[in-house]
Amino acid sequence: MSLDRSIAPAFVIPEEISFIQPMQRTLPNGVRLYFNPTPSIGAVRIEVNAESLRGELKIAKKLVSFFTLHMLLEGTKTKTASELDDFFDYYASEVEIISSFEHQGLALLTTKKHFSQVFPVFRELMTEAVFPEKELQKRKSQKALNISIQFEKNAIRASHLFRQQLFGDSHPYGMISTEQDVELIEREDLLDYYQNYLWVNTEIFVTGDLSETDLQLIESMLGDLPVHMYDSTPSEFSNMGNEIFIEAREKSVQSSIRLGCHLIPKSNPDYHALAVFNTFLGGYFGSRLIKNIREDKGHTYGIYSSIGSLRSADYWLIAADVKKEFTSEVIDEIYKEIEILQHQAIPKEELETVRNYLIGNLLSSFSSSFELITRFKGIHQAGLDLRFYEDRFEFLKKFTGEDIQKVGKRLIQKDWFVGTVVG
Amino acid sequence: MIAYEQFFLDNGLQVFVHQDPSTKIAVFNMLYKVGSRNEVSGKTGLAHYFEHLMFGGSQHVPSFDTALENVGGSCNAFTNTDITNYYMNLPAVNLETAFWLESDRMMYLNPREKTIETQRKVVIEEFKQRYLNQPYGDAFHHMRALAYETHPYQWPTIGRNIEDIINYQKEDVEEFYWTHYRPDNAVLVVAGDVTVEQVKRLSEKWFGGIPKGSIRRLDIPSEAPQISKKTKTIEADVPTDALYKVYHMPAKLQDGYLEADLITDIIGFGRSSLLEQTLVKNSDLFASIGAYILGTVDPGLLVFSGKLEKGKTAERGEKALDEVVKQFLQQPIEETILQKVKHQAKAMKTYESVQLLNRAMSLAYFAHLGDVNLYQTEYEKKTAIPPKDILDWGHKLLREDNASTIYYKAIS
Repeated sequence: MSLDRSIAPAFVIPEEISFIQPMQRTLPNGVRLYFNPTPSIGAVRIEVNAESLRGELKIAKKLVSFFTLHMLLEGTKTKTASELDDFFDYYASEVEIISSFEHQGLALLTTKKHFSQVFPVFRELMTEAVFPEKELQKRKSQKALNISIQFEKNAIRASHLFRQQLFGDSHPYGMISTEQDVELIEREDLLDYYQNYLWVNTEIFVTGDLSETDLQLIESMLGDLPVHMYDSTPSEFSNMGNEIFIEAREKSVQSSIRLGCHLIPKSNPDYHALAVFNTFLGGYFGSRLIKNIREDKGHTYGIYSSIGSLRSADYWLIAADVKKEFTSEVIDEIYKEIEILQHQAIPKEELETVRNYLIGNLLSSFSSSFELITRFKGIHQAGLDLRFYEDRFEFLKKFTGEDIQKVGKRLIQKDWFVGTVVG
Repeated sequence: MIAYEQFFLDNGLQVFVHQDPSTKIAVFNMLYKVGSRNEVSGKTGLAHYFEHLMFGGSQHVPSFDTALENVGGSCNAFTNTDITNYYMNLPAVNLETAFWLESDRMMYLNPREKTIETQRKVVIEEFKQRYLNQPYGDAFHHMRALAYETHPYQWPTIGRNIEDIINYQKEDVEEFYWTHYRPDNAVLVVAGDVTVEQVKRLSEKWFGGIPKGSIRRLDIPSEAPQISKKTKTIEADVPTDALYKVYHMPAKLQDGYLEADLITDIIGFGRSSLLEQTLVKNSDLFASIGAYILGTVDPGLLVFSGKLEKGKTAERGEKALDEVVKQFLQQPIEETILQKVKHQAKAMKTYESVQLLNRAMSLAYFAHLGDVNLYQTEYEKKTAIPPKDILDWGHKLLREDNASTIYYKAIS
């Protein structure tokens, strides 16, 4: 019997996805702990995630939170920096620093086998760090060098300038750190931040094959973490729109383009439609930007649009590194594609491709038990719960082209855009 | 351990099944035993460029990506010196679509003329983005060219230069495909919410009719032992000097390979490593330095790479590095350090295997080396090596006449 390869195999689109709610406990200090058990997985991850008040405090020295976090592994009251290095490496455990616009903290990746030995030392970092001067000097010199290397990288420089355009250079999210900012940092700044601003509105996210005894160890050791409860106000931004900022670099063979604007919060009923609009435009490999700029014209290795998360409102970023002589053509094409997507009926095949792709993608992102806690965290920190994903799933099953275009037209307007080109 | 079952088709395709009923997803991973080591001078980068063409349409599938996205899947691929690996992630209920797509492009790849030309441009932009438009981006081009004289490892997978990419002809592409993209040169791993029976049935159905390859694959020229130290100085507009020092070392399955791996684990991996503690944290010479091996199928390189603090020279950095290496070779290795390396080797496996895709890739990779059980046995062998053997191999490998150094200098 010969096989007819011209007929694609039948397929189905998943009709059920389970969004698993983590277990929840409250520690004596009021801190909430969220736990997703992962039987049979030997890895354990504990994330102690606090709110960063960077946007609200407007600390004059930009790099205080950065250095505070990075100095936590450079010595505690009982262990020197090199003893800490030996300890975590000996148990093959990694301490990860968390630092984003709105969050900061520490995470520990370890094994079930070594968890109970490693966790108490991880706990020490949170309150017993001593910020030794010698280590601070080395860190400062490394950071200064890193800043000068990053400055040379067009893509990174463009992302920094984009932030500056989007958030404004007087807001902490928009400020670009320089080598002079490194110079200003002193040990006292870090001690003050450590004492007063590090563990604000702290939450704990745990995943792994942990027993009740293990959980109790976490509870008791983090239950006395001195935390600050603070009623914070997230920064608000509005779309100003601006000419594209250009930083010319004669020797560059490519230009890094970054364009975007502020969007709406995840709690807005139009959010799901907007996220799908993003997918059509540049959110997956079959997107219109990839098809046009990469697959048709060959002007770039990659062009993507993506949505960044902030509490008050998410923001949009379109990014590409393109052949230098086609920079302005690519920018024109990006605007053109946005307009076509807003105004011309979306072909039915494309609509189904995006629908099926996004449903598969949602199923896939909830398929690895170890990562469920991260999915929960993302939406929880936006002030929502897993119903967000249920709503998204329902939306994906039935949205029409008009649904997407209506929202896209209203929420994305060319004169709201800011952008930068480096190269 | 990763549980698996395996079987062969009559055309030589080797198939592995790794069941994981805890997920609703399937991973479909096809590894071809071809990489930049199979290229020839003047046509370098072809293996990687070809990977791009594999998404350019086959006889019954005009767009690979769209057909996969339609059933809720996504895909990607990578090429390195030794292998080209393609993977799909899709709802397990739609597994058959992956078989249809992957078998069609093994049966008869048929990229459009337009794709052939556009992907050439895309790959040239990739070359610029990753290697030309980055500080230090071309360091490995220089390093490979210095260390190797005859073996194709002398150029990176992206290709030696853009001219080579411009010059590929249609015949080069076709010959490459019919030589290397045959079932007897591939390993398939299907993992996730799948059954062995199902994978057997689908493999026979979709791959069973694809004939074996008939073109003989060229022998790869081997590298003669290096007899004296080589150095090269690059001057560039970068913020600080960088140092790259490499030593030739045994191939993946040869004696001494695991010892070389242990040497770099001890000297240069992690915050507690000898290099980090001596040359970074307690010295104002280096801002960063590490050591690792290129774990290649043919004899590879043991690499030291570091960035100097501003104002310090790469030459001075090399002297300090040599001193640390010398001390390492002269002292016995402490028991706790060996224990640390063992813990790390074990934990690395634990962390990696959290992801279904990593498990599938590991099976494919070790199967391509000739024995899938190496995934486990290599680790057991590595963690049982006595310290004396590590130092003996250190003395054999870490000699000046076996070294090549790039001084990557900032123009002041």
